[in-house]
Amino acid sequence: MMNFDILLGLSLVICLVGLIIRLSIWFSQGTRSPAPGTSAAARISAALQGALGTIFSGRIVRMIKSLFVDLLGQERIFNKNFLRWVAHTLIFFGFVPLLLMHAMSPQTNPLNPFLFLRNLFGLMVLAGVAIAVYRRLTLKAQRLRSAPSDWAALVFIGVIILSGMLLEGAKMSSYSKYQSMVEEYGSSDEEEAKALEAFWVQENGLVSPNVQLPPAPELVQKGMEVNGTSCIDCHASNRTAFAGFAMAKVTWPISALLGDAAAVTMFQYLHILACLAFLAWLPFSKMFHIIAAPLSLIVKRVSGDTITEPANILTSRMIGLSACTHCGTCSLECSSNMFYESFGNDFILPSEKVQYLKKIMAGKETDPAVLKKMQEGLYVCTSCDRCTTVCPSGINLKELFVSARYMLLKQGMPEKSLLSHFSFPLALAQNFADDHLQALKKVTDQFKKSFQHLTDIPVPVTIGSGKGFSNTSFRGCYSCQRCTNICPVVRSFDNPVEALGMLPHQIMFSLGIGNVDLAMGSQMIWSCSTCYLCQEHCPNQVELCDIFYTLKNGALNKIEAGANA
Amino acid sequence: MKYAFFQGCNIPIRIQQYATSTTAVLQHFGITLEVVPEFNCCGYPARNVDEKAYLLPSVRNLAIAEKKGLDILVICNCCFASLQKTKNVMAKDSGLLAEMNSILAKEDLKYSGTAEVKHYLTVLHEQVGAETIKKKLVKMFTDLKVSVIHGCHILRPREITTFDNSFMPRITEELLLPTGARSLDWRGSLECCGAALAGINNDLSHKLLKEKISGAQDAGADFITPICSYCHLQFDTMQLNMQKDNPEAKLLPVLLFPQLLGLCLGLDEAALGIEQNSTISSDNIERIKSLLGPPKEEKKKKKATAAA
Repeated sequence: MMNFDILLGLSLVICLVGLIIRLSIWFSQGTRSPAPGTSAAARISAALQGALGTIFSGRIVRMIKSLFVDLLGQERIFNKNFLRWVAHTLIFFGFVPLLLMHAMSPQTNPLNPFLFLRNLFGLMVLAGVAIAVYRRLTLKAQRLRSAPSDWAALVFIGVIILSGMLLEGAKMSSYSKYQSMVEEYGSSDEEEAKALEAFWVQENGLVSPNVQLPPAPELVQKGMEVNGTSCIDCHASNRTAFAGFAMAKVTWPISALLGDAAAVTMFQYLHILACLAFLAWLPFSKMFHIIAAPLSLIVKRVSGDTITEPANILTSRMIGLSACTHCGTCSLECSSNMFYESFGNDFILPSEKVQYLKKIMAGKETDPAVLKKMQEGLYVCTSCDRCTTVCPSGINLKELFVSARYMLLKQGMPEKSLLSHFSFPLALAQNFADDHLQALKKVTDQFKKSFQHLTDIPVPVTIGSGKGFSNTSFRGCYSCQRCTNICPVVRSFDNPVEALGMLPHQIMFSLGIGNVDLAMGSQMIWSCSTCYLCQEHCPNQVELCDIFYTLKNGALNKIEAGANA
Repeated sequence: MKYAFFQGCNIPIRIQQYATSTTAVLQHFGITLEVVPEFNCCGYPARNVDEKAYLLPSVRNLAIAEKKGLDILVICNCCFASLQKTKNVMAKDSGLLAEMNSILAKEDLKYSGTAEVKHYLTVLHEQVGAETIKKKLVKMFTDLKVSVIHGCHILRPREITTFDNSFMPRITEELLLPTGARSLDWRGSLECCGAALAGINNDLSHKLLKEKISGAQDAGADFITPICSYCHLQFDTMQLNMQKDNPEAKLLPVLLFPQLLGLCLGLDEAALGIEQNSTISSDNIERIKSLLGPPKEEKKKKKATAAA
């Protein structure tokens, strides 16, 4: 087992290095800093102060509660989806005991209850994995995205458990394993040995070249007595290892093909390599949530999402990012889900934003086209905060997204969706108010550049066709100006023409002469409060407000086309 | 009677009191509201950007209600208008309907237009009726002046919303009448609160809001009663934001209609959540309660029994 020690050491080192890298990211990266220039050392010290301050205060009660309710009980998953909770609980309470009683012990204990429990825990994990696979397959239509790494995690865990069961099965049927046990512990009496072998064939799944099936009952009976005196004290019945026992049927043909000892060795390698690879992979994958998610949950419970220390805000965001398991709960519940269907932008789904944010924080991705998609994804958000409410890892997603949104906008790419009602909750919250105005200015500047204005048009004005404009109700306009006179926006300015470019009736007129571009370029459409008074009061059923919406859509498409050209 | 309760995005996270008070009031009249977690955004925020993207979310919401066999009850005006507009467009444009249904089919949903969309005021007005409300009152306001701001998207365009007479609405007034509260005649009642411009053109948005605040105050309003959740947030949150720049400005506190009605029905105050309105002070709440007296109905009953 020289090789084993080397491999174990290697995977432990990789795991450790990975952990150090992941932990250092917590304190070195961040979204837009509320505390510019905070060093990693300062952040570590602030985090330690925060942690100690919690432990040595009344808040320890909340921490302990979190330990039971959030971590062991997984209340957040329980409240959302019982089946998912069952899956996670099965995997967690199956895997952890296996880790402690099986993986950490040098010898595989052949006595009960260990023999039985190993199989039980293994089966629990497998059942949990099966539910998880089922969930990922069936929720695909509900926009649950599964990345290769999600499948990898499930496959890893599945392979670890299954290979363990196969190994156990191969060992049970292995004649050479049996022989070595008999040599070590058994009697030398040939008669007894024959009976014992018959008994093990009958009862313990052994496949022996010497025993004809079915073995004679008297022989088995005698073998049982031998088994009682020589074996049972140190080796419980293989039937109690029910999963392995069942697997013996599966492994037997492989043993027949490769030879039983070779089959055992093969499964042993498979099992051990799977375990060690998993260990090495853990810190670099979503399985890091084993460490990050509990922390994130405790921080959420203790702080209630209101951290005041700026350095700790940054750090908690990074812990949050690393606590994401890509479980997709946020995307399943996302209120913007249909915008995802319309715009075909993955980053509208919160779970996909998080994956990409990790890259941005690490400064990995700089492709402007992808960043632009991300920016749109961050912006096409109704600020309903459902993602944050439902996240099983307790990540403060809304804060992450808002800060990331303005971090990207600051890089200077105009975002057309700023000119939508997605901006309303942002204006209410007044976070990043100046950044918002600056970003807004970039879009409006681009808007001004993209369209000709009344004053730019050479005289005499040519009449265009205006074809392709879907809403033709403007043809009913006879310039009575009732729309302009009733408009609360027009009323708000001393010099409305200067402020708005064109007045509502003038916009209808420009459509009438076929100049859609001129209408789209008018500031009026972006100053429209969409109160529909104009449309309601129009004596000839011109759908002004609806037309303004169409013009706004068209204008944004034109800006977008111009920006991409 | 049961409805699928469409709360939209703002109410569950920013105006829970509107949901709890509406639920409590309707429950009082035997109408239950089923919260449907599957509902998504109504689509309204995307309307400036893309008309189809604006319609699709409501098609899905209506399809969900359809599958549940329930009609939808809405609080927020903008959600209401989006759902109504969608029904209207889908009835006219079969091509678009097919396109959207093909997207919904992935989730095994289908829109056929059977689910109705009702504003909660319509349900109170038509299904419950002012008379029934009157009978259930345990208290009545002796002197309370409120300015109702209807919000635009519940009234207009009238062909789409079909809520009330868009020039001279009467539903709110008729519903307020039995409570004894006076619905003031003021110039902002049918106009814009400025919400649609917030974050796009803040100056103009604030201007429109200020105009409404001073308009209601000039009319002598004790409280503003916004119907739409966007109006509510303008008065209850944006007003406070604006006050930071102008601390002398007199605050116009918000009292929601189901909160007002709930007090007269003697409902649990926790469910009404009046103190959750950010603009309302404890003095305001005391004042409201002090204005509550016995309902007029009792006197009539006494007369009736005496006559008998």
